[in-house]
Amino acid sequence: MILFKHEMKMNLKSLLIWTLCVGGLCMGCILLYTSLEDSLQDIADAYSDMGAMSAALGMDKMSLATLTGFYATEVGMMHGLGGAMFAAVVGTGMLSKEEAGHTTDFLYVFPVGRTSILVQKYLALVCNVLLFNFICAVLYVLGFLLLGEEIQANEMACFHLAQVLMQLEVGTICFLISAFTKKSFLGAGLGVPILLFAADMMCRIIPAIENLKYITPFYYANAADIFTSGEVEVCMAGIGIIVTAAAFMVSWLKFTRKDFAA
Amino acid sequence: MGREYSIELKNLTKMYGRSKGVSDLTLNVEEGDIFGFLGPNGAGKSTTIRSMLGLIGFQKGSAVLLGMDVRKQHGEILKHVGYMPSEAMFYPSMKVKDVIRFAADMRKMDCAEEAAMLCECLSVDTEKRIEELSLGNRKKVSIVCAMQHKPRLFIFDEPTSGLDPLMQAEFFKLVLKYNKQGATCFLSSHVLSEIKKYCRHAAIIRQGRLICTDTVENLTRTSAKRIRMVKDGVAEEFVYKGDLNQLFAGFAGHDISDIVIEEPELDEIFIHYYEEEGVHDTI
Repeated sequence: MILFKHEMKMNLKSLLIWTLCVGGLCMGCILLYTSLEDSLQDIADAYSDMGAMSAALGMDKMSLATLTGFYATEVGMMHGLGGAMFAAVVGTGMLSKEEAGHTTDFLYVFPVGRTSILVQKYLALVCNVLLFNFICAVLYVLGFLLLGEEIQANEMACFHLAQVLMQLEVGTICFLISAFTKKSFLGAGLGVPILLFAADMMCRIIPAIENLKYITPFYYANAADIFTSGEVEVCMAGIGIIVTAAAFMVSWLKFTRKDFAA
Repeated sequence: MGREYSIELKNLTKMYGRSKGVSDLTLNVEEGDIFGFLGPNGAGKSTTIRSMLGLIGFQKGSAVLLGMDVRKQHGEILKHVGYMPSEAMFYPSMKVKDVIRFAADMRKMDCAEEAAMLCECLSVDTEKRIEELSLGNRKKVSIVCAMQHKPRLFIFDEPTSGLDPLMQAEFFKLVLKYNKQGATCFLSSHVLSEIKKYCRHAAIIRQGRLICTDTVENLTRTSAKRIRMVKDGVAEEFVYKGDLNQLFAGFAGHDISDIVIEEPELDEIFIHYYEEEGVHDTI
């Protein structure tokens, strides 16, 4: 697991920056809630009456006037998008950075099989996503505790579990892109979560493209849905797991047969 | 008993789409040899080396290193190979000592003692970060990474480019030391003088095809002569390969006021191997 440790070390700075930015921003929003509480009631009333837009943001189900509602709509969305972008950044660079940085002739001549290299690099991606979510979740819980608010433990756990699955799906799709490319396509990688996020919003607003919900992992990881129902939609999450597994398998097929650029 | 080969390439063919990188390359390198691999830029030297190491696949033929098939026993082969690529690139943010330790850890070996000796011989500053190093210093780190685990087979791709003459000498001192201990060395280079000085056998590759392989002594033996003369008051200098009588016959009717006939330079001997097929009476 030397390569795994090496990858973790190499990604540490990026992990800390993203965690502090996304987790810190979201925690800041939670802490700001009490000062916004009075004005949020009016905003909540206005938002809940905006039809399709309210549905897209989950405000037809949850009210901004409660901390849980605020968390499920505002904080959940920021965390989801930020986390998916972090997973995309890590995934996109994981394999292609060796060819982009011309380190293939150094790294791939050690007596370590390509499958082992791929698995260790993927585990580093998984571990980064898990650590990101764990630290963020701790910060959010801390925010709730500092405000003396009750935490809906089950919903919170379900939401963060769904977030991990969603971010892993996005990260694995970007890992797949990374297996096929010889340069770091960070732009393309970042485009994946943004497109999937947009697809989630759109399919909630426009009934004609409702089926997009089967494609975008943001759908089953939606905080408002999870906090309302108290569970993750198993079928949707299952599709997400299948997509993740398929993306990993295709990455493996490509990586183990690839000609590495010098 | 037959000869033991460290490298056996048979009809190795590597295509890049429709263009050929290496074509039908057959080559044997004896165990314990220092073997030079020569060829102009784009001839297929790096393609051959990267195919042998499994970094790229090949469509036809076979590559057997240390008696093991590259396709089937890739991992086992790499345990015993020390490779130094032409581009010595590492992770810029890492310190030299971390890169060297990482290379040893990836081999699950403790190479601290050998690495310390190599760093001392090559004057490697292990506290510096890779991003602070020049090409020459990165090459030195690459040498340490390739040698610290004392492999049975060294593969060097243009190892001395970027190294100062003192370090080049130090590098070959190390190569000769490991060679004396039984290691085989496969050396791709543009520097003909170092091939002549250190290698016992050499092969020449051009446009992906092996032109010839022989002892360095035979390859550098030539009937070609360097002629310097003043003919009809004009100074001329050229390398002549052919019947000297014919050359002299051609001087009839000319005023030859001075003539010097000498052995050609090493690169002049090799240059005709590099050139396209054609007439080489006068090189």
